[in-house]
Amino acid sequence: MKKILNKPEDYVVEMLAGMTAAHPEYYKLQGDNGKVVVRATPGKKGKVGIVTGGGSGHLPVFTGYVGEGLLDACAIGDVFSSPSAEQMADAIRAADTGAGVLRLYGNYGGDVMNFDMAGELVEFEDITCSTVLLADDVASAAPEEAEKRRGVAGMVYAFKIAGAAAEEGRDLDGVTAVAQKAADACRSIGAALSPCTVPQAGKPTFEIADDEMEMGMGIHGEPGVWRGKLQTADQIAGEMMDRLLADMPVASGDRVSVMVNSLGATPPEELYILYRTVKARLEGAGATIVMPLVGRYATSMEMTGVSFTLCKLDAELEALLNAPCDCAFWSVR
Amino acid sequence: MTITRDMLLGAIDRITEAMERDFDMLNAADGALGDGDLGVTMARGMRAITEMKDDLPDDIGMALFQCAQAFTKSSGSSYGTLMATGLMSAAKTLRGSHTIDPAGIPDLVAGARDKMQERGKAELGGKTVLDSLDYVARATAEEGDKAQAAAEAVDKALEDFRDKPATIGRARIFGDKSIGMDDPGMLAMQSIVKAATGQ
Repeated sequence: MKKILNKPEDYVVEMLAGMTAAHPEYYKLQGDNGKVVVRATPGKKGKVGIVTGGGSGHLPVFTGYVGEGLLDACAIGDVFSSPSAEQMADAIRAADTGAGVLRLYGNYGGDVMNFDMAGELVEFEDITCSTVLLADDVASAAPEEAEKRRGVAGMVYAFKIAGAAAEEGRDLDGVTAVAQKAADACRSIGAALSPCTVPQAGKPTFEIADDEMEMGMGIHGEPGVWRGKLQTADQIAGEMMDRLLADMPVASGDRVSVMVNSLGATPPEELYILYRTVKARLEGAGATIVMPLVGRYATSMEMTGVSFTLCKLDAELEALLNAPCDCAFWSVR
Repeated sequence: MTITRDMLLGAIDRITEAMERDFDMLNAADGALGDGDLGVTMARGMRAITEMKDDLPDDIGMALFQCAQAFTKSSGSSYGTLMATGLMSAAKTLRGSHTIDPAGIPDLVAGARDKMQERGKAELGGKTVLDSLDYVARATAEEGDKAQAAAEAVDKALEDFRDKPATIGRARIFGDKSIGMDDPGMLAMQSIVKAATGQ
């Protein structure tokens, strides 16, 4: 795999420098080691802060969603690896305006451990934190072990909904509760056609034949549900919808937002081909689609493939999803 | 023998030296089962502690809290975070004290073990650093020279678990292949305890 880079070890720092230089109206770097991204215009006093964190390599997740009506700060690690607890503590300090901070991030071992530790560090400074873990990937564990599931593209919905609730002036308990409701309302699944290469590793995260695909794979190349011959777009979309709807059935009258997300290399053309099937299935079940998101929202470097996320809405979630937000990668007006 | 701040500083020096000495050994042991950066994690953490050593406060609890922070600052790896967790646990217990009473050592070690277990979501008996700490906590609770008991306990833990399979984390993937191999986290704790106790 060819990559455009200088030194592999400078990949993340140079990426952040470029991103903040290109979008100074949205992002600012902060923290001792320059791997904490904060809003260029901080949230107003008394607003609950929202922080996330995780490995690099998933843009726009995580740092891209720092912005008004979204996140206040983000601690970012090396490609696919957790930021340190101290970076996470720096992000929490940056996000705190006195009303407490919600830690909203994916269910990954290193991230959980370090964010828990970061919470203890800032406790010494009297900052109150709460936590909501995203665990939307239905392929990563069976429904009876849903608490073990990994967080994938569904975190974008949670960022948006929690961000809107915080902007509205809700308190920490209120923002935490609605973020949990959004997290619980999301289900995702991915399918991959080719792997990606972590710059410092220099070789692909897994190997797969040219005529093969993998269903249900994770965002770091974790093995999926099955591997077999590449199917047609309609078959792929059909099976992904089967698996999502089996986990979270949709009934007549339901209102659902849906994301058809490129894992990096899959072009928008192919996402739109898939979206036809997604729409037909949801509307066939009598559901109404709200704010379909088709594009690149949560990626794994240059992996070829797609993920689908369903977010089942009630009136509260729908209003918060529709509230204004603004960052370099997504805005709702 | 009451443990003073000066004795703590001496232990820091010895552990730092031990981590530089064992740098390659720990990376290699970790590389056989995981991502191969344990020596890096430990050396970085101890270097960060050494740098601020002279400014550590007289309050031993606060001093250990700052040592914990040095680990969280220097690395995002799980072993570094576990070390910080263990140090924080002792820091909370000792906050406000200027010395450590040796009679309290078994409880300090057991407290660190429990907090690290909670954070890492691992069980005892899984062939991890928790087992080493468990052995140290139990051995130092008995009558006798605590330094010697601790040093013997880390050796014994390694011997007892060598022929068991790894059950936690990335090493678990290797299953039966890990039989006969030492757990890298237990090896690191062996070096730390021996250096700390001057054995």
